[in-house]
Amino acid sequence: MIKDYISFVGEESINELFILAEKLKNLKVLHVNSTHKGGGVAEILSRLIPLMKELGIKAEWKVIKGNEKFFNFTKKLHNLLHLCIPTSIESEEIVYYLKTIYENLNKIDTENYDVIFIHDPQPIGLVVKKHPGQKWIWRCHIDTSAPHPKAWEFLENFINAYDACVFHMPEFVYEGIKIPTYIIPPSIDPLHPKNIELSKEEIKNILTKFRLDLDKPIITQVSRFDRLKDPFGVISAYKLVKKKYDCQLVLVGSFASDDPEGENIYKELLNLTADEKDIFILNLPPDSHKEINAFQRGSTVIVQKSIKEGFGLVVSEAMWKEKPVIGSNVGGIKRQIVHGVTGYLVNSIEGLAMRIKQLLANKEFMHTMGLYAKERVRHRFLIIRHLRDYLILIHKTLTYPAKMTFSQFAKGG
Amino acid sequence: MINPFIFKAEFWIPKFTGIKAFSLKDFIETLKNIDKFSIFYHMYINIFNYHNLPTFFNNSFSYWLYKNNLLPLAEKLSIVDPMEYFDLEELRCSLIKILEESYNKDLDKKIIEPFFFITVEREIIEYKNPAHTLGEFIRKFKKSSINSVFYHLVTSRIENKTLINDYSSWLVSIGENKKAELINKLDVYNMNLYEIKKEIIKILETQK
Repeated sequence: MIKDYISFVGEESINELFILAEKLKNLKVLHVNSTHKGGGVAEILSRLIPLMKELGIKAEWKVIKGNEKFFNFTKKLHNLLHLCIPTSIESEEIVYYLKTIYENLNKIDTENYDVIFIHDPQPIGLVVKKHPGQKWIWRCHIDTSAPHPKAWEFLENFINAYDACVFHMPEFVYEGIKIPTYIIPPSIDPLHPKNIELSKEEIKNILTKFRLDLDKPIITQVSRFDRLKDPFGVISAYKLVKKKYDCQLVLVGSFASDDPEGENIYKELLNLTADEKDIFILNLPPDSHKEINAFQRGSTVIVQKSIKEGFGLVVSEAMWKEKPVIGSNVGGIKRQIVHGVTGYLVNSIEGLAMRIKQLLANKEFMHTMGLYAKERVRHRFLIIRHLRDYLILIHKTLTYPAKMTFSQFAKGG
Repeated sequence: MINPFIFKAEFWIPKFTGIKAFSLKDFIETLKNIDKFSIFYHMYINIFNYHNLPTFFNNSFSYWLYKNNLLPLAEKLSIVDPMEYFDLEELRCSLIKILEESYNKDLDKKIIEPFFFITVEREIIEYKNPAHTLGEFIRKFKKSSINSVFYHLVTSRIENKTLINDYSSWLVSIGENKKAELINKLDVYNMNLYEIKKEIIKILETQK
């Protein structure tokens, strides 16, 4: 219920949402992505759609279907867009992609909507069936600033038929984009089980279940087991801190059964820390929301030492729990942390260790930073701001002059 | 006959101009021609985005200069109070003057991170039931959001081309000159909008 958010953002902000949505009443809005479960996009859509409906918008969410061959190609496309790896796109792959898109268009009725949001590259081709008068928005959740030229060439076939596109931050935008480009950062939901308030008792029970000592400071990084999250760098920083401070380190995350690399890193970390009684390497099932929540709330300092990062909303999740976060100066981390105010941005293992020590030594300062961290998230990274941004985006896009449909584009106007 | 006060609130979404500056020279040249709402975004919206935090600098131009090790220049720009301007072109000229006076080629070498010029698309809404009396005004003001406070104190001045904010203009029209003057003196550039709201309520309720 939208009213449940009053305690976080105030009644006046919720009332304003209703005023903003008045002009959009009964507007038919469709969101399409590639998965119902798992990942940040599905998570935010599962929350946003009911809120849009409550505001009187006829919002719906549909998911494209495809077989392994289709998703192998879109996975490759995804990687080519943000990791510029040396491979190419075969024409046979493009034909198969389009075949699957047309199959989806037989099942997903895009015709009866006024505004269509397409999330990420996988369903981007659905725009081939754009109808006159419709507004299509491409919502890109990944960093495409330095794409493989072939991947961009492929996307460009479709992008120009869209009325607007949206990125998390300007740094993620490829300079070749010609359509209006909006910047809307992602958000967290304070009512999600991983963010809701927990009692001291609940936190204590969960932490002690994993044998943590509640009398010692706890430094935590929540992330999947991936070299890009630099768990080994976190351990090195912890060892520097441990020389002066008797503290514990928790690296908590998960790896899927089809993620052999994640499993290898997890095992490597276990081996490396086998003799360290104060280091906890925890692989939890992906739906361990309450446990992750408890680890964040029970920690003294949260770190996020990624080498490369998308937006990294886990930073905001920790900040919402009044924790100062020390994060790498990369990706969306630098947009969330205000250096020296809500946490610190660091560039090295030594920098991370120094900042952890600084916070452990100054409890009052750490507490104040935590309060600012929560305020930062309340003001900029909660779902209500995200919803409001979408309402304004829809308003603005509806005022654009009618654009050519995809087929008109393909025919050269 | 006194015009009623219509409470409004302002919202926006940032729009990327597609323009990045990779050197101080680029930055100055771009600033000369960039859409004036880009200046609005970096100088005014930035106040809103960070009003509740004790940030090092309160506009994004200064913050960028600071991140690129141009601290004296960051400080020089930070003292430009956008609340002393209602004309974005005049503000643009003041910023360029400071930058050009301090520019030398060596400073370009210090730039590590580019500056991304953002502009905004704004949406202004009106609350129902305008205020006709001071009592009604106080009641409705208390129920208004910080987006509303921001609109009436900051951007209404740019729209109306005046240094007097909306609240103060209306208070003058009902003969509440002292209250109007005190509200107009509030340091919006440096204060938290929640604190400003409290301060305005105090002025409205106590000041004769």
